[in-house]
Order: sequence, then C-alpha cells, then structure tokens
Amino acid sequence: MSTTNGLAVDTGHDLVIETTALRKEFRTRKGQTRVAVQGLDLAVPAGGVHGFLGPNGSGKTTTIRMLLGLARATSGTMRLFGRPVPDELPAVVGRVGAVVESPKFSPNLTGRQNLLLLSRSIGAPDTRVDEAVETVGLTGRDGDRFRSYSLGMKQRLAIAATLLKDPALLILDEPTNGLDPAGIREIRDTIRDLGERGVTVLLSSHILAEVQQVCTSATIIGNGRLLASGTVADLLAGGAAYRVDVAAPDAARRLLEAAGHPTSPGPDERSFLVETEEPAEVTRLLGEAGIWLEGLSAQRQDLESYFLELTAADTLGQTGQTSMGGAA
Amino acid sequence: MRALLRVEATRLRWRRAVVLLLVAAVALPALILASVAWSTRPVSEAEQDQILSQRYAAKEVRRCERDPENFLYPAPVSTDAAQVEQACRAQILQWYGGRATLRLEAETREGSLLGVVAVVGLLMLLMGTTFVGHDWNSGSMSNQLLFEPRRARVWAAKAAVVTLVGALVAGTVLAAYWTGLWGLAASRDLATGGGVVGDGFELVARGALLAAAGALGGYALTMLFRSTVATIGVLFAVSVVGGTLIGLLGSAGGSTERWQPQLNVLAFVTNELRYYDESDLPEECFTGRGGSGEECNGERVLTATDGGLYLGALLLGAGALSLGSYRRRDVP
Repeated sequence: MSTTNGLAVDTGHDLVIETTALRKEFRTRKGQTRVAVQGLDLAVPAGGVHGFLGPNGSGKTTTIRMLLGLARATSGTMRLFGRPVPDELPAVVGRVGAVVESPKFSPNLTGRQNLLLLSRSIGAPDTRVDEAVETVGLTGRDGDRFRSYSLGMKQRLAIAATLLKDPALLILDEPTNGLDPAGIREIRDTIRDLGERGVTVLLSSHILAEVQQVCTSATIIGNGRLLASGTVADLLAGGAAYRVDVAAPDAARRLLEAAGHPTSPGPDERSFLVETEEPAEVTRLLGEAGIWLEGLSAQRQDLESYFLELTAADTLGQTGQTSMGGAA
Repeated sequence: MRALLRVEATRLRWRRAVVLLLVAAVALPALILASVAWSTRPVSEAEQDQILSQRYAAKEVRRCERDPENFLYPAPVSTDAAQVEQACRAQILQWYGGRATLRLEAETREGSLLGVVAVVGLLMLLMGTTFVGHDWNSGSMSNQLLFEPRRARVWAAKAAVVTLVGALVAGTVLAAYWTGLWGLAASRDLATGGGVVGDGFELVARGALLAAAGALGGYALTMLFRSTVATIGVLFAVSVVGGTLIGLLGSAGGSTERWQPQLNVLAFVTNELRYYDESDLPEECFTGRGGSGEECNGERVLTATDGGLYLGALLLGAGALSLGSYRRRDVP
C-alpha cells in the first residue's frame, strides 16, 4: 500500500486506469473559471467491474473524456494500461472501448453503416460488426436508420461499437439510460459477464443499486474530488453500525462511549446502535463490565445511504478522502 | 492512413446531403448547357423571312446596305453587293431576331463557363462544409476519435477526401460542360479555332482547382467553427461586409482594391484580370493641371499568380487555424 494525496492506493495490482492530481478547468462565457475536476486521484485495477459514482455535475464524464483524449486536462497526469495519455493514447486506444454520455452516431446512416465506418477505421473485418450486433441483440434492426432507433436501441448500438475492438478496458457512461427493465438486465448481465471474462469495466453511473449489484469496487467523487474508493463490500462495511441488545443499555452506552465507540439510540428500549470497526471489542468491553450481551447484529447500510451521507457531507465541506480495502 | 482515407471516402459517399450537392453539381451545369443551346439556336429560314419581312427590319437592311461601315463591325472588307447584303441581313437578324450566336470565346471570358465555375465552386464549398458539419452536429466526431485519437490524421484524411472529390467532380463537370459547348459550336459550323478551345480547357482546370480549394476551405472553416450554419453565416458576412471593409481601409489611405476577394478569384480563373482603380492616382490627373499619360492611367492588372497567391494564403491561414483548433480544443 502507498498513499497518494491522502488516498491509499494498492500498487500490488496492475492499474488499468490511473490519474494523479487530475484537474480540469473550464472558462465560462463570462470569463470566469469553473473547476470540474480538482486533484482527482483515480486508480482502477485490472479485472472486474469498477463503479464510478457521483452526483450530476460531479466530474465523472469530464474525467472519462479526459482519459479518452476528448478533453484536455488542465494539469495532472493520466495513465491507461501504464501508458501516459493523451500522449500515448494511440498505442492503447485499440484496447479501450467506451460509451461517453449519450450514443452519438450519424442519424441518417443505418446502425450497421455506423458500425462499419468505425470498424473499418481500425482495420477490423466486417464480420466483427455482425458479432457485435448479435451480442447486443440488434440483429434484424441493424439495417434501420439510427434516427429511427429507440433510446434503448441506441444504447445497445453504442455498446456494440465498443465491442468492435475486443477491448481489455470498457468505459461505460450511464449505459442503461433509457433501457427497459429487460434491457437493463441484459446490459448488466453483459457487463458482469465481461468483467468475469477479464475485461476491466469502468461503469459510471448514478444508479446506486446498479453499481452495488454489478460492481466489485467503486470510486465515489463529488465536486470533482475523490470522496471514497474501495471494494463495494468495504465501502458498505466502512462506518457500519451494530445493534446491541442488552438489559442495561444506558450503562452499556456510557461504557462504550468512554472507550471511543459512538452510540445512538436503538429501535427499542433494550437496544442501541454502536459505530465500530471491531465488534469483538464491544463484546469484550461489555463482558468485562458484567453486562451480558443478549444480541449483537451488523446493521448493513446500502450504497445509496453511504453515497448520500458522503455527498451530503461533501456539500457541507466536511469530507476528507476515504479509502477502503485494497481494490483501489 | 489508407484505411482512414477509405473510411472517409465511404462516409462522404453515404452522406445524403453530399450526394444531393454532387447531383446538383452535375444537373445545374447540364441545365445551363441546355439553356445556352436553346437560347443560341440558329434562326430558321422561316423565322428569318418572317423577321426580315417586318417593315422596320427591311428598312434597317436597306440603310445598312447604303452605309455598311456604320452597321457592321468589323467593317466589311468586300464591297460586293451580295456579300454586303448577306452581312447586313445577318446583323439585322441578330439585332431583331432576339437571339445571340454562340461564341466560344465569349463563353469563357464573360459567358456561361464562368457562371458554371461559380456554381460548381459554390456547391463544392457547401459539400466540404456539410460533410463535416454533420459530424459535429450529430456528435459522431467524438465517436470517431474514440477509434482514431490522432486528430491531425483525422483532419488530414477528411481534408484529403473532400479536396480530391471536389477536384474530381468539378474537373469532370466543367470539362464536360466545355466539351458540350465546343461540340455545340462545331455542330453549328461556328468558329472553334484560334486556341479558344485550349483556353477554355485551361479555364476548366483553374475552375476545378478553385472548386477543390472551395471544398477544402469550407471543410476547414467548418472544422474551426464546428457548425455548417456558422460557416455559411461567416462566409455570407464576409462576402457582404468584407468588400466594404476593404474599400473603407482603402479610403483611409492607399489602394486596397487589389485585395478584393472577387477580383482575385476572377484573376485566378481567367488567368489575368484588368480593372480600373483611380484611388491612388496623383491629384493632377483629376484637376487637369498637367496630369496625363501613363501616371494617370488607372488600369491595373492582376495575374493568375497574384490571385493564386492571395487565395492560397487565405486557404493556408484557414487550414492552419482549423487544424490547430481541432488539435487543441475539447471535442463535445
């Protein structure tokens, strides 16, 4: 483990995406400077599905666009597969598939024609188009004009375009936008499947349940800054509370507070909640004081409550950066 | 790069607006040729008799026969009465018949060939503009860069395809138009000698170059402004305000007539342009106090090289700005 700008980074893995002190400023029409990304350190290890979370306007898409060479960073460094980008982007772009924001194709061309133009630009055989179309379930509709597609079909076509390269890294920005429930499920299965096959997927989303279901690790940003990063399991465990059931809750709470474990009232008179990383310590302290536990259970929080807690704190300017586990 | 060129050629071919413009580039000159052929068709004998039987026409023929020097230009060499009568009848027919005779030489310098060059050049400019304007409008430019991030190569490939297609289409259409006029003149036993055909083909070549440059210019400006509408708007504004602005600069001191874009375009296409500019003549030329001769001659000459350098510099400037901007600016 090493520490970069307050963020613990596991350097034992090969990092597929790595940014250091990444910053992006935009100049508004009024001549003011708006900072979209400020000093972002992002580390995505090889393999698995990595969630990239943040509220609207938090800098997710801007970060992705900088990684892909569509926007220039104001300062900081970026690496893809260990190669500095954008300088060496041409060397690695063949291994990166990406959907950035909404699918963007020529509306008057058919889906197939759009894909053919892209595949031919990298010298891929036309059969790759057939395979990609089949993978995303657009067979039979690929001859229709792009403008006649539903939003869900457009998303599928965009994902098909990413598959033309047979990528080792897939960057998907809100890929399930506009899909019907069956489509969402299919895309999630496809993403999960790609992750299991060794493709690293960076999934940018604000649908927290989606990230929790699909991703193995995640990074949360707010206002262009890193708020937290780690495996999903660790992120959910971090800051977790335990419900303590005892006969004398007031005495037990005083004891635990004195030992540095914050508590709060529980759902009934004989219970309370304690925030701790070490539940065994709770049992030891109470046992030594002769307060016998009637129950101790983890109160699991979901990603949504964790995310809201983090981003709300960020809005109030209370956050530092948090890193959990060794994934990122 | 070869794959990229092929892709851009395919993209151009698949773009409907481009195809429509190319069809227009063929159809409009064809229509103009048909119109020229119709409006210069020989007057039939019946029509001739009908026109010359009119009192005013018969009177004019008689006056011409009495005083041919005042009616015929150049003045008739022969004094043979029959020949003079024939020449007078032809002249009066031309005046009152309402139809001009097809003259290849006139078609090049101030006739329809120049008009066709202007039409085809404008269409090629629009082709270059709309080709890439669509990429920006649809947002597909960013998608293309996800597959080929070397922006200079993308810019160059698109520019090469647009320029080549512009040159090829314009060259073919203009050559066909000129050949059509030539064939028309030959079929009517009109004069086609004296190097006029060669001059026409030279003008065709220059016109094709101009159209290709127009396509490249339209493309470069649209890559700069990232919008077809913006490019057309800017070109329109420049064409309206630019000439006035250059003229105003001239009134502030020194002649700026030489920098008027349309004069340079004409000079380049027609090989040489003579125009009058008296703004920098000495004051004596206007007061009548001794000013005369060569120093009071306001005739100026713009050569094809002058025009070519002027247009080339504009194109180079627009291209450099466009490429620089495309390489540096964020792509939406």
